[in-house]
Amino acid sequence: MSLALVRRGGVYVFLSIATFLSVFPFYWMAVGATNQSPDIVRGKLGLGSNLLVNFQHLMTQVDLPRVFGNSFFIAVVSTLLTLIVSSLAGYGFEMFRSRIRERIFQLLLLLLSIPFAALMVPLFVMISRAQLNNTFTAVILPGIASIFIVFYFRQATKAFPRELRDAARVDGLKEWQIFLFVYMPTMRSTYAAATIIVFMNAWNNYLWPLIVLQTPDNKTITLVISTLTAAYTPDYGVILLATVLATAPTLVIFFVLQRQFVQGMLGAVK
Amino acid sequence: MTSLSLKGVRKSYGQHPVIKGVDLTVDSREFVVFVGPSGCGKSTLLRMIAGLESITAGELEIGGKRMNDVDPSKRGIAMVFQSYALYPHMSVRDNMGFALRFAGKPKDEIARQVNEAARILELGPLLDRLPAQLSGGQRQRVAIGRAIVRHPDVFLFDEPLSNLDAELRVHMRIELARLHRELQATIIYVTHDQVEAMTLADKIVVLREGEVSQVGTPLQLYDDPDNLFVAGFIGSPKMNFLSGEVVDVGAGTASIALVNHGGVRLTKPLGASLPKKGERVTLGIRPEHFGVAGAGTDLTLAVDVAEHLGSTTYVYANGGGERLIIQREERHMGDTDTIAVSIPTEAALLFDSAGKRLR
Repeated sequence: MSLALVRRGGVYVFLSIATFLSVFPFYWMAVGATNQSPDIVRGKLGLGSNLLVNFQHLMTQVDLPRVFGNSFFIAVVSTLLTLIVSSLAGYGFEMFRSRIRERIFQLLLLLLSIPFAALMVPLFVMISRAQLNNTFTAVILPGIASIFIVFYFRQATKAFPRELRDAARVDGLKEWQIFLFVYMPTMRSTYAAATIIVFMNAWNNYLWPLIVLQTPDNKTITLVISTLTAAYTPDYGVILLATVLATAPTLVIFFVLQRQFVQGMLGAVK
Repeated sequence: MTSLSLKGVRKSYGQHPVIKGVDLTVDSREFVVFVGPSGCGKSTLLRMIAGLESITAGELEIGGKRMNDVDPSKRGIAMVFQSYALYPHMSVRDNMGFALRFAGKPKDEIARQVNEAARILELGPLLDRLPAQLSGGQRQRVAIGRAIVRHPDVFLFDEPLSNLDAELRVHMRIELARLHRELQATIIYVTHDQVEAMTLADKIVVLREGEVSQVGTPLQLYDDPDNLFVAGFIGSPKMNFLSGEVVDVGAGTASIALVNHGGVRLTKPLGASLPKKGERVTLGIRPEHFGVAGAGTDLTLAVDVAEHLGSTTYVYANGGGERLIIQREERHMGDTDTIAVSIPTEAALLFDSAGKRLR
């Protein structure tokens, strides 16, 4: 057996293990949603027949349409605002020369190192003083200027041909028109990749909504799943079904934007 | 079409000057080429004319109006970029009509203009394609079409052929010359390729380190360069330079000893600008001006390589540490180790130690 063949075999074994580790939790979650709680605890890995019962139990415990509606609203508005604000900032940082540009950008990157736990309390005090407590605005507002997404857009903008901006200026476009009609369509792969990242973060956000959303009417799906696990005798079938439902939108978004996501991560401007 | 003038135009980035005072007039319908080595400021100067770079000092006038602070779209210019700068998400049709759309032109007017430009450039069948579906030459034609539909007073071309392969570059060069004749347009064209400059220009502006080295017609620059830089830059193959020393100055003549060729002497008739005795000078002679030995001042050189191009032959030869290129009409030089040539004094050009031409 040649060395190349052994090497290739090793790669396949490694990739198979990695795939198994990635896919198995999804499989277990999906299968668990069809089983009764005792079966899941016993480690049953086959499909069950309890899906409809789990669904009925979930519907009696949770106002699913409202909870999903809340999560959707927060995730969609967060994504839209974050993309607009952060891409504008990334564009500005890259396109406009200034003596203090790099200093400001370095300061922003430094802020990335501050953990959210350190910001939580002052942020809550600010939100309370602004009388935004228990509102969706309180959940959405702190996240829309995402430093990571600004950084991501700035890096991606380095690949945006400056001559396109020059051509647009000669064609009579103002700066905001260049951004809207030339930059945004050209950078759609970057926007697609950022959409996935921001939407997933907003959808999965747990800690901050837990702090600022108090009434049941305002709860998001992640908060509701945590309340299901907090029950005296948790029904794992119901919990896993809720988790499957909560995971579905992010998977759909990922698969729809998958191609652009890969291009965007590679920094391609097509 | 409209004329354009630059008066004492300067550009600095902080303390660093890149354009050091340019005075230039471009007449209506003239094809002017800015040429020079990389970093000489030719593209910066073009971008200043376009309004894409600010003017630190001086005056820019287009059609007699001061344009220093006017928006690029209102200067009456259109620009073709080196990388084509086509909007990748728009069809050829939309790319060409984009500026008109933003100028508020009616749809049927835009369609008419785009179709007319497409006809001139033979882009008709490509109008619904995206730029990614076009070849380099087609993209360049679309970029030119985008400029044409705006009916500008002045066309600005920034190294438009640099990204094309050699064959396509020659083809597009001819296309541009045809277009200039057809549109009767005022064109300012930037290139580092002196062959493009020689073949396209009515007037060439040679730039060096942010300053105009010389302005003139292609043949003026070729035959009568003002300085060593222009003499060396214009012409392919390049002009040969031989080091010399003035050994005698007479009435309207200077005797030059070629220091690297055993002090071989030649007497050069000159006008007012006579060098001083003992001054170091440079003698310039184009490859085609070398004569056969015995017709004047003779040099014997060691042949390095002979390039047979069919109609002509270039001989690369060395002598006294100087490498010279000699053009010969013979199709075959034969196996020869040496070549004897003569320097006709009337064709040789003389430059002083600062590189300024002595006439």
